[in-house]
Amino acid sequence: MEISRSTRKIHRREKTAKAVIWGLSALTIFILFWIIGFILIRGFYSNKEVRYDFTGYTEETIPLDDQHGVIFVAHSKLRIKDITTEDLQTLYTSPIRELNTWGDFTGQDIYCKPAVYLEPSEFNSAVQKLLLGNSALDDWKSYTVKKNSSEEILEYVGNTPGGLGYIPAEDAYLIDKKVQIIPVRDMVLQVNPSVTDIVNNRSLQAVTMDQLNSILRGDVANWNQIDGPELPLVLGLSSSINLSEQLDGISHSVTAMDSRASMLSFLEHTPGALLMSRFGDIDTHDFELLSVDRIERGRNLTLAFILEKPAGGDAGGISYFIINTLILIILTLLFSTPVGVMAAIYLVEYAKQGPFVRILRMGTETLAGIPSIVFGLFGRIFFVKILGLGIGFLSSTLTVTLMILPTLVRTSEEALKAVPKNLREGSLAMGATRFQTIMRVVIPAASPGILTGIILAVGRVVGETAILLYTLGSGYDLVRNLSSPARVLSLHLYLLFSEAVSFDRAFATATVLIFMVLITNLLTKKLIRKQSVYS
Amino acid sequence: MSTNIVVKDLDLFYGDFQALHSVSLDIEENQVTALIGPSGCGKSTFIRTLNRMNDLIDSVKITGEVLYHGEDIYDSESDVIELRKRVGMVFQKPNPFPMSVYENVAYGPKIHGKSNRTELDILVEKSLRGAALWDEVKDRLDKPATGLSGGQQQRLCIARTLAVEPEVVLMDEPTSALDPMSTSKIEDLIDQLKLNYTIVIVTHNMQQAGRISDKTCFFLNGYIEEIGSTDQIFFNPQSSKTEDYISGKFG
Ligand SMILES: Nc1ncnc2c1ncn2[C@@H]1O[C@H](COP(=O)(O)OP(=O)(O)OP(=O)(O)O)[C@@H](O)[C@H]1O
Ligand SMILES: [Mg+2]
Repeated sequence: MEISRSTRKIHRREKTAKAVIWGLSALTIFILFWIIGFILIRGFYSNKEVRYDFTGYTEETIPLDDQHGVIFVAHSKLRIKDITTEDLQTLYTSPIRELNTWGDFTGQDIYCKPAVYLEPSEFNSAVQKLLLGNSALDDWKSYTVKKNSSEEILEYVGNTPGGLGYIPAEDAYLIDKKVQIIPVRDMVLQVNPSVTDIVNNRSLQAVTMDQLNSILRGDVANWNQIDGPELPLVLGLSSSINLSEQLDGISHSVTAMDSRASMLSFLEHTPGALLMSRFGDIDTHDFELLSVDRIERGRNLTLAFILEKPAGGDAGGISYFIINTLILIILTLLFSTPVGVMAAIYLVEYAKQGPFVRILRMGTETLAGIPSIVFGLFGRIFFVKILGLGIGFLSSTLTVTLMILPTLVRTSEEALKAVPKNLREGSLAMGATRFQTIMRVVIPAASPGILTGIILAVGRVVGETAILLYTLGSGYDLVRNLSSPARVLSLHLYLLFSEAVSFDRAFATATVLIFMVLITNLLTKKLIRKQSVYS
Repeated sequence: MSTNIVVKDLDLFYGDFQALHSVSLDIEENQVTALIGPSGCGKSTFIRTLNRMNDLIDSVKITGEVLYHGEDIYDSESDVIELRKRVGMVFQKPNPFPMSVYENVAYGPKIHGKSNRTELDILVEKSLRGAALWDEVKDRLDKPATGLSGGQQQRLCIARTLAVEPEVVLMDEPTSALDPMSTSKIEDLIDQLKLNYTIVIVTHNMQQAGRISDKTCFFLNGYIEEIGSTDQIFFNPQSSKTEDYISGKFG
């Protein structure tokens, strides 16, 4: 039979409808995966450009003179990739020992414990010059540990968490598994002022490592090739620099300079001059350093980040915040579930369905829709101030309880209402009382629905920030008692973000949050499946 | 043969609507009494008055007497829980509780205070055997009752009722949601149960009423139109309406 016009029209309409539905759902799925994927990728893998005063070239041995060099070693547990000479100076000359932690370099909350040679020797004074540099010190800080030999230094560093030390390069064979060699970045860039002049409202701020590599290979003849001014690029190199390990083809037309005076005059008198020298070669006050942008890739969320205890916002892990979050969830559920479910039971099973119940129901519905910050305001005034509970765990738990209670009542009510009447009748017909029926038949039958409500509540607790900002404070410690101020994951995330502490840490924390929600969902789904085979 | 339940001049109102009009009926011990009649005539309403299930509906008002062993169950002194223990009920749709097969059967004894595990085990087995279900479920006592077939679920509900050790079992269309095989199993079961229990059954199935009941009661618009032994109602009805109904002319 021939397809009639009306059939064809219907087909066409159906096809359009299908395409629209398909398109919209594909869009939704795409957006979903995109958001979660973006957060997870940033959470697990960090890829950022960081600006330094030092180039990215590292050396395991820093030459002290033509024959001798120094190797810096650290305790093997330190997660350090490399370090600049300037940072080494900071670690060796920090005015107060207590401020001297590895946090800024490795994210670990560990004191730096530097060791030095006791005996004055040529080697020792050379290193001393390198490390004490421009500081006013002419001797080691009192907290540095003095050792007599490379063996002693290595033993000390290997057995001291946070240990830092140095040995002559020729003693490198003594290094064992307990210590690691820290690659040091000692090379800096300086330019003739003409290079950083403002031209057309722009001035060269920094070069990337890629650009620097090209420059050293001789591929850049003019600054305008790397977004700089129209100036020929003249490269000068301190003779102490030997980059053959890192870059095989350094351009041969490089002027190598070995005296401070020649470097200074090169910088001063050559328009377009670029000098790569060692940090100690030249007084940095005379010519400003040209910054270098380095792309740093690596794992972001690590097990250590999850397991270590926090130390301020920018060092340590988030273990305490995870535990605090779990405690907050458990306590709020402990408070809210019995109350919410009982209220729902009253409303569904006992209350006379009249205007009173209608008003109650409208009230809970309204409360369920109120933004949480309103609850935060209430908690701050009522629990913190009027009841005098202070900012802390109890105040925030009570406030969060109030926030999720209406939702919990509503979902439990719906779950109870959905229990078929004939189940209740079956129980009552056997001589069960109303209470027995509710406890033994109705609640078990409603439990999947009630559990669903509880998951929703957990989700809201995990994500709650506004209330906690008002009532929980922001301590870094583990919750020890009900009045201690603390931090939970979402709040930590918010603070990391709003105080711009570290995006890497923010994304890693967000990833942990996502997984927490995922795990709760999976667990509860499993529970529900187990429950609902019975009903 | 003695009378178990005597109903005298029972009127029942749902608010202003009178669903039962001066119903009087004697229910004999160890007999099957069938209640038949067209839809909406008040059979369910009536059977639910016998264990006061209508108490659950706020708008219901009742006058008249229902005497159970001579005592008025609607007396203010009367103990509903004790009544429902002795007068059990099986519903039209199987309604197993959201628990295991075992727990379903042990439910009644447990709420009435039995907690000894061995006693419960014995009672559960006895009740399941009594409902002709034991052989089918003895290996899956701890599995969810909702996993049973419809007919098994209904027999489970019967077992559950028997576990409370009632004297009377009320059944409101117990087979109307079941297939013919399950139906005939339950009919056989009712034949067995009659030896130990008094049974009142509502049914729309004339053959069923004819097969299993001793006494039949024909309801029409809230009145008892005719009442008598099943043979008499089916083979020699006094009322022409009864005859019309039985022969399928209406209903
Ligand atoms: N809860 C109630 N409130 C008001 N009226 C009701 C209620 N339950 C039943 N009725 C009415 O009482 C009358 C008898 O109903 P009942 O359920 O007893 O009939 P039935 O004979 O069992 O019918 P069926 O064979 O369809 O089950 C019907 O008119 C019905 O509408
Ligand atoms: Mg009915």
